Amino acid sequence: MKTLLVIKKQEYEWLIDLLPGVHPLLVPICNKPFIEFLVDFAILAGSDALRIVSDGVLGSVEHYCENGSRWGVEISYGSMRPADDIYTVIEKNRRFCLEERVIIISGFLFIRYNKKSEYASLFTSLPSGELLSCPHGSISLTGTSTTKTETPGTLPFSLAALDSIGKYYELSMEILRTGLTHYVIPGYSSEEDCYIGRNVIIQKSAEIIKPVIIGNNVQIMTNSIIDSNSVIGNNVIIDRESFISGSIVIGNTYIGEHLEVKNKIAAGNLLIDPESGTSIVMEDPHLLTAMTQSRVAGALLRRVVHALGATFLILLLLLPWLLLRPILGLQGKWKRKREQYFTRLPGKNVTLTNTTIECTGVLSALAKALSLDRFTLLFKVLSGKLALIGNQPLPVNPAIPLLPNTHAVYRPAVFSYAEAEEWPEIGIDTEIVEHYYAVHSDPLKDIAMTQKALFYRTH
Amino acid sequence: MIFHLDTSTTQPLGVVLLKKRVDANNSSELQKAFAQWLQQTSNFVFDCTKLDFIDSSGLGAIVSCLRKALEHQGDVKLAALGPKVAMVFELTKAKKLFSVFSNSSEAIQSFRTVSPK
Repeated sequence: MKTLLVIKKQEYEWLIDLLPGVHPLLVPICNKPFIEFLVDFAILAGSDALRIVSDGVLGSVEHYCENGSRWGVEISYGSMRPADDIYTVIEKNRRFCLEERVIIISGFLFIRYNKKSEYASLFTSLPSGELLSCPHGSISLTGTSTTKTETPGTLPFSLAALDSIGKYYELSMEILRTGLTHYVIPGYSSEEDCYIGRNVIIQKSAEIIKPVIIGNNVQIMTNSIIDSNSVIGNNVIIDRESFISGSIVIGNTYIGEHLEVKNKIAAGNLLIDPESGTSIVMEDPHLLTAMTQSRVAGALLRRVVHALGATFLILLLLLPWLLLRPILGLQGKWKRKREQYFTRLPGKNVTLTNTTIECTGVLSALAKALSLDRFTLLFKVLSGKLALIGNQPLPVNPAIPLLPNTHAVYRPAVFSYAEAEEWPEIGIDTEIVEHYYAVHSDPLKDIAMTQKALFYRTH
Repeated sequence: MIFHLDTSTTQPLGVVLLKKRVDANNSSELQKAFAQWLQQTSNFVFDCTKLDFIDSSGLGAIVSCLRKALEHQGDVKLAALGPKVAMVFELTKAKKLFSVFSNSSEAIQSFRTVSPK
């Protein structure tokens, strides 16, 4: 069994304007990218290969889904012309559609299904032809059935067209209220109707009322209330005494203090009323803002400040490094390991030499106190591959790719914010503190934090 | 912004037509002008029919006007909030501080039915 997914740009174009920066196929529904629901459905239906065909740009979708190995299916991508009808698309993808049964999902549709239902045997027995349709698309089947079983009167799945922000909101609320057990929803769920992601800080005085979904790297500050029917995306900060109810807070959003977000969608500095479709772009960063990368000028200033700081440290540490490095090398206390690390640019890696100083003896203790193990990394700051202070570089692991939304706040550096704050160098708390400073820091604060990091490493 | 005195009620009522934007650039103007209008009356209707945008400074200025009116035993009522402006009032919970009417006539009428404090 294979699945062919045909989605035209004109069907999802409306979403590009409303939620810019996220490809419509990656728009989160209850914190799960839309495309993943379709992948899950294809897998449940017994597909071992999925082909996504669109006349729009699929770059970020390809980057996210890659070859599908994460889900154990083979995902490929194809293009089409805007004027192509479904038959032309099938013809153009003849090699994919040949021989086997193919489920064809056409349109920007959400398929309501239940992960507990048995779809694989159903799809092998269903006759070919259109199974379900709605004004915005259809789901059909090609090829001949291989088994003969009685087909049910009503199919155990249905279609929901995604053609307006109101429908998107309704669908999210529908899943949240009644369908959480039907789908695989990201996050931990120790009790019904409540999913919470990794690295979530919920202050003691904050209140969470079910049903609710909270993403990864979320901070819910003092006296805030996350009321029922709320979806909080990844990398979100809900500041003090704010009230969120019946709302969707898309990832990388900061909700300021003392605010009330009721039955709305907040995405960066955009606030949308799904009922009327009205949206406003907030100009006050302390009310509602996007937690994205700094502006170009800010980024340039930060790079200059970091380069100056690195130059200063290189000049300061050059002599001790020249003296201590050969001695410790001869004593076998200076150990090096080259490894690939993620950079902040999606798809690009950097090779770094990790130095470990065996801390036995006065000289090695002195070298460690002077942070000589980081000396060579300082040159990477000058070339712009590392920041002076930021996140601990994450080693490249093909099994754990860096999620696209992590790139916005990930800045690999010589020293980490966690070190400056004397947090443990590993663990979820580190990620939280680094995420916080990635959002709240500025070049001058970075210098102060570097000093702190150096000081705490000395002591 | 345009100010006029409405005398259709038992006592003069200040009707302020807010236009385009009330933001950091012109919020202080509103506050200065309001101090002058307060010498003529303490009851106001802010007609937001033509108001397209408000930010936190503008919101602060309008709340400050309300506070000053209350100090003079008066009130500030809002009329014809557009959807975008209403969203800002809801988001910041400022809507709870004001009586909001769908148009300025209703807001003026409400001063007739309720005796001033």
